[in-house]
Amino acid sequence: MIRRLAGELRRRWLLARAPAGPRRDFLAAPWPPGGLPCAAARYLALDLETTGGDPQQHEIVSLGWVCLDGPRIDLGSARRRIVRIAGAMSAESATVHAITDDEAAAGVPLDAALRELLAALAGRVLIAHYAPTERGFVDAACRRLLGGGIAIPAIDTLDIARRLMPPGQAPAPGSLRLGTLRRHYGLPRYPAHDALSDALAAAELFLAQLGAAPRPPTLAEWLA
Amino acid sequence: MRVELAEIRDFLAPLPPFSLLDADALDALPAQLAVRYLRRGSDFPPAGEAPALYVVRKGAIERRDAHGSLVDVFADGDVVDATAADDDGSRRVAVEDSLLYLLPAPALQALRRAQPAVDAHFARSAAERLRHARRPSDGDDAADADALLRPVGELATRAPVTAPPTLSIREAARRMSAARVSALMIVDDGRLAGIVTDRDLRRRCLATGLPAEAAVASIMSAPVAAIDPESPAFEALLAMTRRGIHHLPLVDAGGVRGLVSSSDLLRGQRAGSVQLARRIRRCASPAELAAAAGELPELQLRLVAAGAGAAQVGHALTALYDALACRLLELAESELGPPPVPYAWAACGSQGRHEQTLRSDQDNALIVHDDFRPEAHGAWFAALAQAVADGLDACGLRYCPGRVMASTADWRQPVRVWSERFAEWIRAADKRSAMLAANFLDLRVVRGDPALLAPVHATVVRECARHESFVAQMTANALENRPPLGFFRQLLLVRGGTATDAFDVKRGGLLPISDLARVHALAAGCAEIGTLPRLRAAAGGPTLSAYGARELAEAFEFLGGLRLRHQSAQLRRGEAPDNLIAPASLGRLERAELKAAFAVIERQQAVMAQRYAARSAT
Repeated sequence: MIRRLAGELRRRWLLARAPAGPRRDFLAAPWPPGGLPCAAARYLALDLETTGGDPQQHEIVSLGWVCLDGPRIDLGSARRRIVRIAGAMSAESATVHAITDDEAAAGVPLDAALRELLAALAGRVLIAHYAPTERGFVDAACRRLLGGGIAIPAIDTLDIARRLMPPGQAPAPGSLRLGTLRRHYGLPRYPAHDALSDALAAAELFLAQLGAAPRPPTLAEWLA
Repeated sequence: MRVELAEIRDFLAPLPPFSLLDADALDALPAQLAVRYLRRGSDFPPAGEAPALYVVRKGAIERRDAHGSLVDVFADGDVVDATAADDDGSRRVAVEDSLLYLLPAPALQALRRAQPAVDAHFARSAAERLRHARRPSDGDDAADADALLRPVGELATRAPVTAPPTLSIREAARRMSAARVSALMIVDDGRLAGIVTDRDLRRRCLATGLPAEAAVASIMSAPVAAIDPESPAFEALLAMTRRGIHHLPLVDAGGVRGLVSSSDLLRGQRAGSVQLARRIRRCASPAELAAAAGELPELQLRLVAAGAGAAQVGHALTALYDALACRLLELAESELGPPPVPYAWAACGSQGRHEQTLRSDQDNALIVHDDFRPEAHGAWFAALAQAVADGLDACGLRYCPGRVMASTADWRQPVRVWSERFAEWIRAADKRSAMLAANFLDLRVVRGDPALLAPVHATVVRECARHESFVAQMTANALENRPPLGFFRQLLLVRGGTATDAFDVKRGGLLPISDLARVHALAAGCAEIGTLPRLRAAAGGPTLSAYGARELAEAFEFLGGLRLRHQSAQLRRGEAPDNLIAPASLGRLERAELKAAFAVIERQQAVMAQRYAARSAT
């Protein structure tokens, strides 16, 4: 409850100071009410592939997202964007994401991808597996390219997985990984480290978690 | 553009009806879908969803009828049509946590408008779908005894159809369509580089999403077996059988000369059975006959490799088993002396219906002239029947476990006794007598005077018309063998909810149709004996619609073909052929078609059950 309230206040504070533009348009949409059942809210599941773990230092390599209206994933909204990045890709991250320098060079500027994402995300709740990454990188990109930070309501499927565990039980190492959790719910295996596949994987995991919750949760209960 | 959601596209690609989409439509498909997750125990389709076609990605959906008995289960890869509401009171529930893809009804409609093949898939009756799935079979029956010894080049009926390796797949497909061939030889600089068949277009291009502009060389089979057009045809046949292929290019020093297909060689195969029949007629002892019968599995294999369908193989085998029985009777007569009174040796069951398979049971009877006197002639006929029964057993036709064969005293009777017995069975109209009478309705004279059977048959027709209760009992018997419900993963679902890992294609498919055909033929007063002839003759009659007859015939031929392929595979592995098919061995399309066949039987059994329920109520 507190998290939603703090986030909503931050949104209003940022909105009051944001100049006209995509960031302002995004901030103009109020957060959905905390009492809304999760099954009735609208979402956007997002996954970012990056050159490293620090939003201040590393870059977004690709974005993948798909929208959900309540318990229904709309595959028509699925997008995958490769970003044309400034520095050369490290050989290591190129291997992980299977995106070569050539592919990255043929991609879109981060600015364009970011505007497209914000337009799709407005009025929706973000879903991500370990949401601090997605929130952190999008916020950093907004500061760098759009003149200021941003406030995004989010549900973290990793956080939900922890909450759905029997009380007092510590998670086994690796048991909170996306693939492991999906196996637990009998979801199919998808190729890992593709931003869109991972976004869809998180979206499906969220639906499975929604089904497994002891009683239908509200947004206020599940927001990160 | 790189295809987004390629993983989902690849999952859908092999599933009918999506397998019918061209590459572009398949690429565009995932974006039209929505994803739903149904928790175990939830109703299907999910509340609040508009009508849609569903695909089970993972999980299981059960359908139970108004009485709560299991009707169907859909699991991974199954397509569930929920574009129209179920109005039969049945209920569908997710019995496992299920991830579902749904194609909304308007998108499906658009797809059907844009893709004629998909439209045809939905519009086609189950019967036509089965016909589509059946293997092509050759209809001509010219029999040239020496065909297999002629140069194979003489049997190739078409001029060679070729393409360069650089031609696009689309152009290659056009060329094949224009020439009406199912195989295209890829020729590079006068040299045979490979071969492309309809199957390659489907499996290597459509299913993998390869663009139609790609070079045809990328989907051809290479290296490819070829044969000199001067080689004898049997060598070509052996090469095809060995490799499991249906086309063989003809190549000599001068280059590519043509293409011979398995159906080109079918004529030669027919000749094979003619030759074997000739050999059987010359055999001098039961041992020689048994040796000749030992070639039947080989003959069946070659017939199947050459593209013969179940009906054709059934006819060929029946003719040969008839020949074996005739020759055994002749040999026995030459031992025992001439028959004291005229007789007719009749086959019943599958042999009677011309639907013989390898290693089935003996089903036969002796009809003896009314001058028969047991004390004077009984021993002669007993010896005759025993000799033939032993001979047939040595030839691979096992003794009938129910002793329904002429070597049992009961099944050797004069015409008068047979007529009385039939009349008695028909009047008694209990389960067993109706079963026996049904068996004998398939009676066909193999050797002897057919006139001996005629009075028996006349009795059957007369008495049946007078005893509705008998027809009702026979109907009840015909409805006893129900088809399975369908499949659940590697298991077969049967009524009552138990699952087994083997499907008895005879008991669960072919017999129920034969039983239905017999009842319909009886009601229509048709004298035909075979299942397909009966269905044809009874179509549009008092009890069977033309449509019903056609869909039953299609299902019968499909199931027969399935059994044939199953038994051929067993023969190749050196196993004894049987009727038990493991669901795991079936392809997805085969499963879908099999399920359609089950539905046909189910529907026609229900129609018949209703008709007789209505009639006995009045």
